[in-house]
Amino acid sequence: MVEKVKIVVDDDRCYLCGGCAGMCPTLAINVGPKWEFFIDKCISCKICITACPVGALKAVPLEGEP
Amino acid sequence: MRYDVVVVGAGIAGPIIARNLAKAGYDVLMIDKKAEIGSPKRCGEGISIGVFDKYDIPYDKRFINREIYGAKLYSPSGYELELRYKKVSGVIIERKVFDKMLAFYAARAGADVWPRTEATGLIRKEGRIAGIRAKHEGEPVEIEAEIIVAADGVESMVARWAGINTYAPPHEFDSSYEYEMLIEGYDPDLIHLWFGNEVAPRGYVWVFPKDEDRANVGIGINSDNPKTAKYYLDKWLRERGIPAKKLLEINVGAVPVGGFVKELVRGNVLVVGDAARQVNPMHGGGMAEAMGAATIASRWMIKALEEENLSLLQNYTREWWEKDGRRLEKVLKARRVTEKLTDEDLDLFIQILSGADAEKIAGGDYGEVIKALLKHPKVLLSPRRIKLLKELL
Repeated sequence: MVEKVKIVVDDDRCYLCGGCAGMCPTLAINVGPKWEFFIDKCISCKICITACPVGALKAVPLEGEP
Repeated sequence: MRYDVVVVGAGIAGPIIARNLAKAGYDVLMIDKKAEIGSPKRCGEGISIGVFDKYDIPYDKRFINREIYGAKLYSPSGYELELRYKKVSGVIIERKVFDKMLAFYAARAGADVWPRTEATGLIRKEGRIAGIRAKHEGEPVEIEAEIIVAADGVESMVARWAGINTYAPPHEFDSSYEYEMLIEGYDPDLIHLWFGNEVAPRGYVWVFPKDEDRANVGIGINSDNPKTAKYYLDKWLRERGIPAKKLLEINVGAVPVGGFVKELVRGNVLVVGDAARQVNPMHGGGMAEAMGAATIASRWMIKALEEENLSLLQNYTREWWEKDGRRLEKVLKARRVTEKLTDEDLDLFIQILSGADAEKIAGGDYGEVIKALLKHPKVLLSPRRIKLLKELL
């Protein structure tokens, strides 16, 4: 089973280019004036992390969260 | 509020559709989530000279940084191939001015334009899509429209909300990173492209001059690469001893280069441009394709509204695929073959072509280029190379 993760953005590195949102298979990321993540839609595939041209995204484990 | 057409996204395709529909007398609203149309861009800003006449865009000096007379290609070991024309072949534009002017042409033709307005969802009424919900400076607005155009870029949501499958996995995108910077030593009348599996996996490094000593210096690589586009561009600059200290802009983005959205219309929703992945998969340029698709889409939208028959919109899918889709599928096939080229292949091919009849090659006769390569002994002795080149033919 895939480890359930949460995707977090480093605001200082992100250019809001929208590449991650374009490649997300489940519309779990929205890039408007700010970067938004919808955990209920995320399937922890981490495609967005590889897709980012500047490496601004990372996954953090969900352990310990309700 | 009510419009005949609402266009989401004021990049290239959006404003052309908005302009064409407004010119035909329809009520159009174009929205864009950005506060400043045209910025930030995700683009190298190079475009061929032919598009201005073809798509009725004024050749306005305000967005033309520099006229270009050809290209110079560099192989991994430094072999060069120069293609120089007597006439201007392309221009390096300024997207933040260009996009704004396209929006201006649309507005002047009668369209309403609202920046800082983000689409947030669709309005559904009696089983059909009746418009979009949006946020303007945080205030919710409802925009009813007969036709909805998803010109909302690579991160398109509107088409996906409407049930159009625009999804493609990361392998089908390029990741790109670009500096606008001061740089010297490259002929400012040409664009410069560097190829190589270590230089830019699946893509290339480009220098697109905006001035004698100023250029867009960027890179595109496969998006599923474990390393970032920035990593490869910085490495390239470092290895060539090019100081990246006088930077005027940094731009990043994802470029859809792996095939095109099949269904371009569903009901009264159309998808166009990067959102439909209408990008040339060989060089990653999307502006000309967006203009072409927007022109086809506009024509059928006008017809559908004139005849009050929205099923005519389906003709946009048909016509696009017959014309541009078929051509771009061939380009995609060729691109997939070029992915198999080793650095030694690239060195050899560029070396052979630089010794061949430059004028013929510059004439752009693709078949002649492949034939010239097929004649060379180093190619003739390699069944693998013959096979690759035959696939390219």
